[in-house]
Amino acid sequence: MTALLEIDDLHVAVDGKEILKGITLSVPAGEVHAVMGPNGSGKSTLSYTLAGRDGYEVTRGRILYQGEDLTALTPDARAAKGMFLALQYPVEIPGVATLTFLKTALNAQRRARGEKELDAMRVLKLVREKALKLKIAEEMLKRPLNAGFSGGEKKRMEILQMALFEPKLAILDETDSGLDIDALKLVADGVNALRSPERAMLVITHYQRLLSYTVPDRVHVLAGGRIVKSGGADLALELEKSGYEQVVEAA
Amino acid sequence: MTALAFKVDSAPDVFRDDFARHAASLPGAHLAWLATRRKSAFAAFAKTGTPTRRVEAWKYTDLANALEGELPPAPRHDGPVPEHGVFGEEGARVLLVNGFVHSVHDGYGLEIVDLSRIDAATPDWVSGHLGLMAAGEDQLLGAVSLALMRSGVGIRVRGTHRLHLDFVNLARASMSHARVLIVVERGASLRLLESHLGDSDAAFANLGIELVLEQGAQVEHIRVQSEAAETLHVSSLAASMGRDARYRALYCAVGGKLSRLDAVVRLAETGSEAQLHNVAILKSGIADITTVVDHVAAHTTSRQLFKSVVGGRGRSVSQGRVVVRPGAVKSDSHQLFKALLLSPRAEADAKPELEIFADDVACGHGTAIGDLDPDALFYLRARGIPEAEAKSLLIHAFLADAIEGFGDDALRQALIERLDAALASLGQAEP
Repeated sequence: MTALLEIDDLHVAVDGKEILKGITLSVPAGEVHAVMGPNGSGKSTLSYTLAGRDGYEVTRGRILYQGEDLTALTPDARAAKGMFLALQYPVEIPGVATLTFLKTALNAQRRARGEKELDAMRVLKLVREKALKLKIAEEMLKRPLNAGFSGGEKKRMEILQMALFEPKLAILDETDSGLDIDALKLVADGVNALRSPERAMLVITHYQRLLSYTVPDRVHVLAGGRIVKSGGADLALELEKSGYEQVVEAA
Repeated sequence: MTALAFKVDSAPDVFRDDFARHAASLPGAHLAWLATRRKSAFAAFAKTGTPTRRVEAWKYTDLANALEGELPPAPRHDGPVPEHGVFGEEGARVLLVNGFVHSVHDGYGLEIVDLSRIDAATPDWVSGHLGLMAAGEDQLLGAVSLALMRSGVGIRVRGTHRLHLDFVNLARASMSHARVLIVVERGASLRLLESHLGDSDAAFANLGIELVLEQGAQVEHIRVQSEAAETLHVSSLAASMGRDARYRALYCAVGGKLSRLDAVVRLAETGSEAQLHNVAILKSGIADITTVVDHVAAHTTSRQLFKSVVGGRGRSVSQGRVVVRPGAVKSDSHQLFKALLLSPRAEADAKPELEIFADDVACGHGTAIGDLDPDALFYLRARGIPEAEAKSLLIHAFLADAIEGFGDDALRQALIERLDAALASLGQAEP
């Protein structure tokens, strides 16, 4: 059986410059994989490419999600199929109320899947329920999306969305960066709550910290646009101890 | 003389001709006070003539070039009117067709005067105000609208009122020169709902509006200009503000080939406040808002926020001059002009200006012109929102703070429906 996510010899260019130079990676359902790497190794390029952002051109190889080639799908079509990308820098959108946004997004996904849309009351109830677990104040939901939120609040909002959309494949792009220990635990709890035999997660991070709370099944080291080493959870600890340089050179 | 340098030397001026031929037969021609004001208004206009781009205040909008051929006066229309008004039923209503009062629904105790029938019996509050503002060199087309006034309405407000001014333009290849005078008496409060609709074809609607806010008067003015695609529309609005008077306006321009709102707000007395918001949505032609906010007295406040959404080959113009006179200490003024360009051929011109002659004032201005934020667009799409819906959400978000706080829920809903229709047609123009 094929894995939930199969990345095969993926080459990606941005503005004509090749950033990813042949990534092969397989994430089966039920597993959490971490992709670690130094700055400039191509981590964010990988996450944007998986989410389908314009300007990230797949020049070779392919991405299979549930056995289907994603390359031609728009970002919204991918989201509707159960992919979720938590961004490193969630965008502030003044003028769009958070709750309105959540309802619009949830219903757009449901509509695309041929499911019945939820009315405002149902969405509100659902959001409140998830927000409570993430210690997100009701007041925050009434504010414009991410506008004036602290770094920690923005990341919690990403996790709230993940909890609400219940994706099959969640990609967390440096969601742990800039978080204090309490916020980090909340993020980890959010990730752990979604762990299930049907779901998979790709945790992209620079540091090992988050991985102490969300122990990955596999760890991959990304450097220079390639995966140079893969291993178990121990590899993250090793990286933390000896640094990327040593591991990358040894590979 | 420098004035001569601006003199229009091209084809015969359409307004000059009209005035020469018809001045003696215009409404109230026999009233000395009005004849004098018309004459001096025309003289103010004639120094410059129909503005071309050589006139600084009109440098982005070439009216002379847009006004082509013979334009006879628009006729009075007494027949049925297809559609008018955008703000529901509640309140007093004056319907004006081709600038002429067509019908009045009052019953709320407003005093309403039909200016096309102005005569010796006209009340003092009309003769005491009409044509004293929006008729000078600083509002050239306002001067024309008074000099050539054939129609319009005068309204005196006491107490608290909601008033619809429904303009419908059904004229073909013609021009109308109308005036509106609204006197809001001491402590009175008015919600003014002004709309301009119609299916006129290549007609020119020229309107002069005078708003007199006496001490403590409050006016909330919501205006939608949504005429047919070939219509030319210029409104020259002047407001004078008494002590502690408050004027809040939301102007929306979503139609026509050329629309211009030329607004002069005079913060004449201490404690007066003006808030001017403008929303322009267009995919062709020009939507121009040009304002002068004049801080004459101390402790006066002005806020201006202009937002344009421009697609296709549309062009938005935002010009704002804030003047702080020597006595206007502790004045507080801010203006912000923002434009969203949705197509490569869309254009926005923004020119904020400040002239400060007083110390101890707070004045600020800013402009921003750009396209939709690609990061925001990707963010919304990555959450499952399809591209068209995501764009629409971002455009609404862009306009939100200009609309916020105006009207009540029902009025805002009616307004948003109008704006949505304009935004939807914008989408169709996209390649």
